[in-house]
Amino acid sequence: MTVPAQKAPEAGAPASLRPARPRWRETLGLLVRNPTAAVAGLVLLAIVLVAVFDEALAPSGPNEIAVEDRLRPPSWAHPFGTDDLGRDILSRVVLGAAVSLRVGFLAVGIALVVGSVIGLLAGFYGRWVDDVLMRVMDVLFAFPAVLLAIAVLAVRGPGPGNTALAIGIVYVPIFARVTRASVLGVREEVYVRASRSVGASDWRLLTRHVLPNAAPPIIVQTSISLAFAVLAEAALSFLGLGTQPPDPSWGLMLAEGRGFIDLAWWLAFFPGMAIFVTVLCFNLLGDGLRDVLDPRQRTLMAGGGR
Amino acid sequence: MSDVLVSARGLEVHFPVRSGGALRRTAGVLRAVDGVDLDIHRGETLGLVGESGCGKSTLGNALLRLVEPTGGRVTFDGTDVTGLGRRALRDLRRRAGMVFQDPFASLDPRRTVAQTVAEPLEVHGLRSGRRERAARVGELLELVGLDPAVAGRYPHEFSGGQRQRVGIARALAGEPDFLVCDEAIASLDVSVQAQVLNLLRRLQRKLGLTLLFISHDLSAVRHISDRIAVMYLGRVVEVGPASAVGAEPQMPYTQALLSAVPVPHPALERSRQRIVLRGDVPSPADVPSGCRFRTRCPHAFEPCPGVDPALQPVGAAPGHVAACHLHGVVGGPVEREGTVASAR
Repeated sequence: MTVPAQKAPEAGAPASLRPARPRWRETLGLLVRNPTAAVAGLVLLAIVLVAVFDEALAPSGPNEIAVEDRLRPPSWAHPFGTDDLGRDILSRVVLGAAVSLRVGFLAVGIALVVGSVIGLLAGFYGRWVDDVLMRVMDVLFAFPAVLLAIAVLAVRGPGPGNTALAIGIVYVPIFARVTRASVLGVREEVYVRASRSVGASDWRLLTRHVLPNAAPPIIVQTSISLAFAVLAEAALSFLGLGTQPPDPSWGLMLAEGRGFIDLAWWLAFFPGMAIFVTVLCFNLLGDGLRDVLDPRQRTLMAGGGR
Repeated sequence: MSDVLVSARGLEVHFPVRSGGALRRTAGVLRAVDGVDLDIHRGETLGLVGESGCGKSTLGNALLRLVEPTGGRVTFDGTDVTGLGRRALRDLRRRAGMVFQDPFASLDPRRTVAQTVAEPLEVHGLRSGRRERAARVGELLELVGLDPAVAGRYPHEFSGGQRQRVGIARALAGEPDFLVCDEAIASLDVSVQAQVLNLLRRLQRKLGLTLLFISHDLSAVRHISDRIAVMYLGRVVEVGPASAVGAEPQMPYTQALLSAVPVPHPALERSRQRIVLRGDVPSPADVPSGCRFRTRCPHAFEPCPGVDPALQPVGAAPGHVAACHLHGVVGGPVEREGTVASAR
């Protein structure tokens, strides 16, 4: 924590009142300097591009069945092998990326927005606002996650959109709690009181001071949750509530490949690797972002540390 | 109107003390500020002294309604502050600023110096346009002795003294009439304390500010103040011109307080007579009856437990008042269960 206070970049310090470069460009620049986060970001970008252009990139249709090519190990014709119906696994992994990522982003997006707003209000206003909101969250949290998701899907019917909604609802209390805990600490900070003393409104305090300073744990939680959402989609698909076969999703493929694990490892291995790499990259990028968004770390990094 | 800018009458800030456990029952009342009468004159520097926990900071916060008073009245420039609506309260926040104790905690680490100093301008819509605002921020930084070129930097790149200057610049941005300095120099190095103290004094003269300087540092208070108010256990017990309170304190507590200040002269320091008070400060949750200082007062006599002393003129200097029965028994017997504990 304690950093040498005056280790600012002395040469060419910007003399204007605004930072010399826009903040987001500075942030991006520092992120690129952090090799782990940069690599993770590039890989994620590649995965997203694959998901966006899935139709064009897939070597063959995901549901093209070739019975004579069943359970072929990886080869030049089928780099990831084929499954028990002779479908090309590479194509299915490529198309599954779109499904898995869409569900993941959507679910975490819902949980992030709803959960952090609830946590922010509960933590900042305290008293009965806190009591009411957090008790509701407790009730939501008390349900086993899968059971709650099943209930949502039972009401709304299966499908990617509803899967995302179900997972999102399950994750709302997690974000609410993480945000609230962080806000409870920040709202007592003197700079919040100082800002109030010059007449700042609650809205301003929340958006300019409390939220930015409470953000780091939320960022980390987001990256972790993206990972878990992809896995949750897999679990729900496995139970037959998420993606419906024959549509491919990584989780569903993993579940289907499980039965062939000692016979044809590639059925489960490649979708599993896709999940693993994606999840890992989300986490690494999240950690990198958290560091880069902290001005104290920022100065250290820009000052040539590491 | 008179030359009184800020005035408190019977001001009370009581905090409920909750017992632990699920029911959160109110177990008692902590009387942080308990019936304070105080006038602050336009353009003066009033020093507010007292030991830790006597309610100095709470009083300062209550005057600006950063802490909600539970009783009594505060008027600012003739208007009652206690019932202000949202808009009027925001206007008060422009006209009355605060400088905080810890300059390491009072600046948002994620905002640049420029953003911090510009916040009051944005909140009150004082300078429209980026450029005017930036110019004003530069002016303010210069005013507090900082290079305007540092505006784009973050607080962690500054020393404590520099940060406190930023805090002062923020407090001055709305061109306030009144500034509360809440232990503003307490967490600075001694050499830096003098700089910031002199800065405050210079600004006070230059801008015609009214200053409430809260501190437990008597030397600093005597250096900067026109008048001094002494607080003990939630009550102002002596007020007077700085020279009079400093030289001829009339209340035994003030005498004890002043006798604890070292004298920067070897011979005088050796002959300095210290009045050492017995015992600890009573808890503000359990205030003694009558005069609240009587449990530690070396001069306590019959009326002290029964009669709550009111402020009365004492000594030779005009405007010097103290709440002490040694100068004549003034005040009323007080039941502290009621809401109003101040005897006028």
